[in-house]
Amino acid sequence: MAPFVLVWRNLLRHPLRSVLTVLCVAIAVFLICFLRTMVTTLNAGVDAADNRRLAVMSRNGLFAALPLKYQAAIESIDGVELTTKFQWFGGYYRSQKNFFAQFAVDPETMFAMYPECKAPAEQIEAFRRNRTSCVIGSELVKEFGWKIGDTVPIIGSLNPHPEDKAWEFQVAGIYHSDVPNFDNRTLFLHWEYFEETLKAGGNPPGVGVFSIKIERDADAARVIADVEAAFEDSEQRVDCSTEAEFQRQFVTMFGNVPKFLGWIGSGVVVVILLACINTMLMALRDQAAEIGVLKSLGFTDMSMFMLLVAQSVLLCLLGGALGLGIAAGAEAPISEFMVKMFPGFAIHNDTFLLAGAAALAIGLIAGAAPAWRARNMPCVEAFRGTD
Amino acid sequence: MAHPMIRVRGLTKRYQRGGETLTVLDQLNLEMEEGRFYALMGPSGSGKTTLLNLIGGLDSPDEGELIVAGEDLADLSGADLAHWRSTNVGFVFQGFNLIPVLTARENVELPLKLTPLSRAQRRAQAETALKLVGLGDRMDHRPRQLSGGQEQRVAIARAIATDPKVILADEPTGDLDRKSAEQVLELLQRLNREFKKTILMVTHDPHAAERAQSIVHLDKGQLGRIEHNQAPVAAK
Ligand SMILES: Nc1ncnc2c1ncn2[C@@H]1O[C@H](COP(=O)(O)OP(=O)(O)OP(=O)(O)O)[C@@H](O)[C@H]1O
Ligand SMILES: [Mg+2]
Repeated sequence: MAPFVLVWRNLLRHPLRSVLTVLCVAIAVFLICFLRTMVTTLNAGVDAADNRRLAVMSRNGLFAALPLKYQAAIESIDGVELTTKFQWFGGYYRSQKNFFAQFAVDPETMFAMYPECKAPAEQIEAFRRNRTSCVIGSELVKEFGWKIGDTVPIIGSLNPHPEDKAWEFQVAGIYHSDVPNFDNRTLFLHWEYFEETLKAGGNPPGVGVFSIKIERDADAARVIADVEAAFEDSEQRVDCSTEAEFQRQFVTMFGNVPKFLGWIGSGVVVVILLACINTMLMALRDQAAEIGVLKSLGFTDMSMFMLLVAQSVLLCLLGGALGLGIAAGAEAPISEFMVKMFPGFAIHNDTFLLAGAAALAIGLIAGAAPAWRARNMPCVEAFRGTD
Repeated sequence: MAHPMIRVRGLTKRYQRGGETLTVLDQLNLEMEEGRFYALMGPSGSGKTTLLNLIGGLDSPDEGELIVAGEDLADLSGADLAHWRSTNVGFVFQGFNLIPVLTARENVELPLKLTPLSRAQRRAQAETALKLVGLGDRMDHRPRQLSGGQEQRVAIARAIATDPKVILADEPTGDLDRKSAEQVLELLQRLNREFKKTILMVTHDPHAAERAQSIVHLDKGQLGRIEHNQAPVAAK
């Protein structure tokens, strides 16, 4: 049995040193939570993707538009249950700085395709009936203070209004989604109004993305092949992929970001581990003579090992608890702050668990080397101290 | 000799230093009677501390037999040796060697943590020991808040807390002023007289040695004459 009263007393012996070590570990644990959550948030879209949904885009790139008539052709393919179309509107509210996405959508099918985009039925109905209306995400309500019935002027930089003025949309509804890959900062405008207005200006719009929902028992790979084959000889060839694949491409757009974050996280852990080892070696030097005395009193070598490991583990667990506390407390503000870049920032329980385990591991490893030396130090030598 | 508490036969201890072998103790034979107070004297480097550490089981000999408190130390190792130490010997060092982060009472309680005593019993026993050394009113002081003489008395209280048969003291008065040294020596004498402790005390000071009943001389690893002090200077 190690004299555990000494664990705590020894940590209080150099309060500043202990506090700094606790803070180091706290920062490491916080960063692990933060960095790993960035990665899980990026991947969440892939995980949450619906395998029954496909996306069809032009092979000529994200900004090339597909002809409207493709919709009927897609719907005639065996296994397709529902289609809906999106076009990037590309405007801004008052200032370019107020960036958020706007899409022209078909109100008849959009909400059926995306049940995760939740709005009261009567609001969806109002959107459907009023062609100059729009539905906005709950985050936009928070940001701009818009409410139902407000008229929102949007300058169409990509699709200027033919009369050279701002587009105006009445807010008919407010949607909210709880899934990470459907953000709450989008404005959906009515396709018919969009198309008609641009047509009047002599610039009929195309479609950016067609979404497809396949029938329950349909084979996604087969439908994808059929869709791509259908336009093989048309004016624009298409790329068709599952929503998960589409999300994955989006994640790879961030390149090696997840890997990079992983490296930063590991680097932080290694640095903090070295700092903790250093702290524990200093502790060993302070306590060497006392370890000799304790051994002379009859404490075993193993209990001296435990004495040092316990100090290291206690320091790191205190740091870990503090780091987890900071992470849990900061989650909401960070999520708020990053809503534009990383919508759905939420720390998973296994991330907390991983970070806590890392703190424990740092404690065990940092304590092991000095503890081993304390265990093997002959009494007689311990009196003379170590250097 | 009635009953040897410490029996040393052919004890040899060597150290390797830079390729050279240094024989610190050479074929030592010695017997120490139970309940007697011995002083160990000798020039610096003669191997006094080495001998004390061997008798206390803090170090192991290269050759020879060591029987202390009825136990052949060669038979013990690791945790068994540690346990034997906790019940049979108490150490007192020149530098006091108290744990600075613990109070006097906690320091004295430390060796009792290795016994099956309850918390309350440990506390009571530590208090008894501290009162015995005259520090009943300093129990909650940290070592730094005590004088050198008081620290050494706490160390003695710690050494006797588990009621060991043997007390090994390595220059216990070496760092003390005359008056504190007197107090410590009187205390050791009392432990010997009233509690029948066998005491082996290393000292350079002939006045201190006069407190003992026998004086053992060590020189260059060899045992010299043993003086028997018919009338040790008595405690006042
Ligand atoms: N661990 C060691 N390694 C090498 N030599 C050692 C070691 N410990 C002690 N010695 C040597 O053994 C000899 C005896 O040392 P010891 O400490 O027993 O002497 P001492 O009689 O107690 O001296 P002092 O009166 O100065 O305390 C010395 O020459 C010392 O240098
Ligand atoms: Mg010595």
